Amino acid sequence: MKFRTILTIIGVVIGTSSIIVMVSIGNGAQKSITDELSGIGSVTTLQVYQDLSSMGMTSMGGGKTDDKAILNDDAIKDLKKIDGVVAVTPVVNLNGGEIEVDREQYGVSLMGVDYAVLEDMRYVTTSGKKPGANDENSVILGKDVLTSITYTGASTQLTESEVKPEDLIGQNITMTIKRTNANGEEEMKTQKLKVTGVLEATGGNEDYSIIADYNLVTELNEWQTGRKANVKKQGYTQALVTVEDSSVVNAVTTEVEAMQFTVFSMQQILDSMGSVFQMLQILLGGIGGVALLVACIGIVNTMTMSIYERTKEIGIMKVIGASISDIRNMFIAESTMIGLIGGLVGIVISLVLSVLINLVAGFFIGGEGGVTISFITPGLVIFALVFSALVGLLSGVRPAIKAANLSSLDAIRSE
Amino acid sequence: MHKDFKLGKEDINILKGINLDIEQGEMVALLGPSGSGKSTFLNVLGGLVPPTSGDIMIRDYRISEMTENELCLFRREHLGFIFQSYNLISTMTAMENVALALTFAGVKKEIRKERAIEALEVVGLVDRMGHKPSELSGGQQQRVSIARALVNHPEIILADEPTGNLDSKTSADIMEMIYRLNREENQTFVIVTHDPDTTKYCTKVIHMRDGLIESEVNQ
Repeated sequence: MKFRTILTIIGVVIGTSSIIVMVSIGNGAQKSITDELSGIGSVTTLQVYQDLSSMGMTSMGGGKTDDKAILNDDAIKDLKKIDGVVAVTPVVNLNGGEIEVDREQYGVSLMGVDYAVLEDMRYVTTSGKKPGANDENSVILGKDVLTSITYTGASTQLTESEVKPEDLIGQNITMTIKRTNANGEEEMKTQKLKVTGVLEATGGNEDYSIIADYNLVTELNEWQTGRKANVKKQGYTQALVTVEDSSVVNAVTTEVEAMQFTVFSMQQILDSMGSVFQMLQILLGGIGGVALLVACIGIVNTMTMSIYERTKEIGIMKVIGASISDIRNMFIAESTMIGLIGGLVGIVISLVLSVLINLVAGFFIGGEGGVTISFITPGLVIFALVFSALVGLLSGVRPAIKAANLSSLDAIRSE
Repeated sequence: MHKDFKLGKEDINILKGINLDIEQGEMVALLGPSGSGKSTFLNVLGGLVPPTSGDIMIRDYRISEMTENELCLFRREHLGFIFQSYNLISTMTAMENVALALTFAGVKKEIRKERAIEALEVVGLVDRMGHKPSELSGGQQQRVSIARALVNHPEIILADEPTGNLDSKTSADIMEMIYRLNREENQTFVIVTHDPDTTKYCTKVIHMRDGLIESEVNQ
């Protein structure tokens, strides 16, 4: 192989690897952020609310309550029927509870879910176990439930309790709630709760709550507010919908929205971030693309030089029976090979570079299990290979046509 | 086989009206001083340059009206070329040079090799088939180029001063070989030459001068 050709291939190698490495860094950023997000908030859980805007509309529009979608038990049943939905539970919250652990007072809030479907929900306990369907007084503690937040002037401080939630597993704790009765007197009520497990961090409200049975929380709520909840008419404020896996999230979201409820899911955040990262990748890829553009000019140059050098050869081939397309294809094949070889070598080099970047970054940033700064997907590899071959092919077209159109007699006479 | 020529080139009239019939199996020598148009005549005959006016018929094919691609296909099947400067591709071995003509005809690789070796056998160069042109003598290179012209079994072989760069001994060898091929294969040869010795192998000797045929002698 000619030295000139090798230099041209090196140009393509640099172009290809700069695109791959640039895009891989964009990929890496996306991967580490989405991994983190999907790690904390469960991507398979949708939060469903009564449509706030329609509530406003109906109250202003003179009570056309028929149109309003109410998140009541019927709605819960309908939600359960949607394809891909595994579990649906209403959520009721209770605030202002207090528990005493080790002579320390902790303010807590309870999050009541349907224990009958608790097993199907994606709550994972780090230690202990989930309460069964009939363990009405059993609860799971959120990971940070004993972490008290103290406000000292302008700054907020998180103080970790010396008692870990895990230490309470198997114990009974006493929770106290208060209410002010009609006479302005304060009344207290205590409730014994049995801790069966601690919930893995979800990144949501659960971390700071005690997960309890829906019926228990409703009961306590009724005592605290002094009136019965009319679920049938007013509905629940919130429901949690657990779906099979992340692939059906969007489909389920659309169906729930069609039922006129407001849906919030981690997937929506990931989707909107996806388009931001796509922009970032196009930008980074474009920067890498400049190097490939230069390489492309190099291929055109090499091929043109090669034609001048091989004019006589082309002439001979035409005289002994090569057609125009034979000559053209020969040169296009050659420049495509330059692109393809350059692309292949570029891919190998980028894979090595990617590993090195992550190693070096891991060395400086630290952390267990390595750091992902650069992440090369199989799709990126295939794209790079096809793209570099295409660049070679397109670069070869003009020189090849030029070669094919040489007059055979003039060509054979040239030295 | 029938061929008609009526040619004229505008600015410089290299061929000023040539009318000639050549029969299959003939061995024609074209003689004349330089500038007489004999090489141009050969190139027009091979379809390498189009005539300004007039017709060239080879068997039933009207060469003068073919497109470049049709000419390529025609040359591939019916014509072989031998040049004064051999015109071998320097990066290829003797065998590859000969096989190249078959590549464009779409012949399979094994058959290409087989037939290239066959053609090299005819010119007596099988033992040198792995050599590049630079490793061969002038006479050997010319024999490779003859093998290349033969490999497609064309009906007509056009030779432009095939012995022009060779010494008289080698020239005689080459001409003997061409003569033998002409006899054995009944291939038609048109040979441009300025070497009168060459003409003794030929069945027809044509003298050209100033773009016209001066004399046509059958022998």
